[in-house]
Amino acid sequence: MSPTTTENIYVPKTAIIDRITDNIEDVKTFYWHFEDPAAQAEFKKFRPGQFAQVSLFGIGEFPLSLPPSPTEEEVFFTCRTVGTCSAALHKLKAGDRFAVRGPYGNGFPMEDYYGKSLVFVAGGIGLIPLRSCIIYAMAHREKFDKIQIYYGSKSPKELMYMADLAEWTKSAGVECSLTVDRSAEGWDGNVGVVGSLFKKPGVTVPVDNTKAFVCGPPIMFRFVIKDLLELGFQESNIVSTMERYMKCGVGKCGHCCIGVAYVCMDGPVFTYEQIKKLGEKI
Amino acid sequence: MKARILDRRDVLKIVDQLKDQGYEVIAPFTGLGRDTFFDTVTDENRDRIQIHLPNPYYPPKRLVLPQMERTMKAKMENGGLKIEPTYNEPRIAIFGIRSCDLAGIYHLDRFYLGRDFTDIYYEKHRKNLFLVNVACTDKNLDISDECFCPCADTGPAARDHFDLQLMDLGDEFMAVAGSSAGEALFQSPIFRKGTKEHIEKRHDILDDVRKHFKTATSWFSATVRYVSQGEIIDKTFEEIGNRCLECGACTYVCPACTCFTVTDRKVGENEIERVRMWDACALSGFTRMAGGHNPRKATHDRRNRRFFRKLAHYFIQRELSMACVGCGRCHVACHGDVGMPSTVEIIRRATTENK
Repeated sequence: MSPTTTENIYVPKTAIIDRITDNIEDVKTFYWHFEDPAAQAEFKKFRPGQFAQVSLFGIGEFPLSLPPSPTEEEVFFTCRTVGTCSAALHKLKAGDRFAVRGPYGNGFPMEDYYGKSLVFVAGGIGLIPLRSCIIYAMAHREKFDKIQIYYGSKSPKELMYMADLAEWTKSAGVECSLTVDRSAEGWDGNVGVVGSLFKKPGVTVPVDNTKAFVCGPPIMFRFVIKDLLELGFQESNIVSTMERYMKCGVGKCGHCCIGVAYVCMDGPVFTYEQIKKLGEKI
Repeated sequence: MKARILDRRDVLKIVDQLKDQGYEVIAPFTGLGRDTFFDTVTDENRDRIQIHLPNPYYPPKRLVLPQMERTMKAKMENGGLKIEPTYNEPRIAIFGIRSCDLAGIYHLDRFYLGRDFTDIYYEKHRKNLFLVNVACTDKNLDISDECFCPCADTGPAARDHFDLQLMDLGDEFMAVAGSSAGEALFQSPIFRKGTKEHIEKRHDILDDVRKHFKTATSWFSATVRYVSQGEIIDKTFEEIGNRCLECGACTYVCPACTCFTVTDRKVGENEIERVRMWDACALSGFTRMAGGHNPRKATHDRRNRRFFRKLAHYFIQRELSMACVGCGRCHVACHGDVGMPSTVEIIRRATTENK
């Protein structure tokens, strides 16, 4: 055995919360920075679609996707309270310290998408992991053909990232369509599941030389995949990100395996073609 | 590889040599009844070390991957957060490790030291580890009914990955050095050069021993193929899953299982330690996510997972070593009789009856 010069992959670095914004019910966005500026600079090299391991000592450590694009100035997490760790994260205030390590995972191979049209289909908080890719694509707008965003949520007040949505809806370089399952007062937009947007008059979803990104609850995922295949998408051109229980993020703890893949190492970004070949049901 | 011969009465002098070099020597002992275990060698128990005995119930895995180990400490003071990793760097020699367990440690090496990231905690345990392998040659004591190392190609005598290998030739032992550290031991006057007859005797003994394995898993390689190609129908794994009691014993006694979980615990005012410990894919919480969604909800999905991870060609290729070493411990530990040999048998029956 060679003498040890190994870096410790499990030790996170201290980070400080700058500010917290409320998004929708149970979902908050945490803007933060590393205490050590060198760590911050190193971390900022992340790719869209990667994730980080967040430590709240005494509570635990858990994976969170990175919704910011590396082209943005600030780094943040958007997180819904679902379990013990996320509930504890929601209790933090600006100035509080926690710890982060990463970025991990494969991320979206953005260079492979150059020259192609991008179709984003998101449901509910499924927009969080796709946001990074969308912002990155908008920042490098000239490198891509058409960009379309189809986003749906249960009700108008559950639409994520309202400021971004407003910008995308106005922006000339992108077609953004929103829908809600159940309408509410003040909502004059589309009503129906997100897949119904493809069939709206005046909507043409590009299929040739196009990548479709799907992220959302399992039921939405299944139906949107069906819709996209019907539109003529190849399975290799449908991209999604997976989520699994994770302890290490670096391919050692074994929790996140789906068939042959470690979601933390081989994912979280997979094409639908890959997902089908993993050897285990998702 | 260099080989030497030593007298039977001198074998334990190797233990003394290693102790003199500062190693904590761990060796197998027998307790009451059929109980067998690894323990630290002291002056008091040194003469009770067993060269031949049924392989200890627990593998020596804990010596490189402790069942529970602190990885770091965090202290919260005056609004600050200080995180400090903590390490154990033991100097251990395992005397009398069986060939299957040796292959287990090799698998852990491939998994924890290889691939994209190196696990520093494992590395520190492994760095100073000295392995004295004893080939299984006593067909009554060494070979249990559950052993199937010839099928997994790990035994009865390991070909490599040891520092020193000992083989009982009767009145004499053959010692084979597998590393320069092992070869260095040959400077002791207890070792002498062997002859052609010694090598012939070794071959004869091994040929004979191989005939005494009772667990028929000649379908092992076929099962690898079926698992890899996804040819096993769901019903087969449902049958296996129905017999699983979800105790996790198969993973805890497995010398090649690698999964761990991580948890934090309070150790003082504003002080937290993070520990990692063995986890088992048999347990339903293994894949349960925050919010309650569990992608592997059914027991048979988790059984499927275990055998897929052990037997799929993809993983064998990925680690260049198989995660089943044929020690048969899961067969002994499993109350539902779905250890590896039984599972192979169930799969054999299912495939032959369906065709």
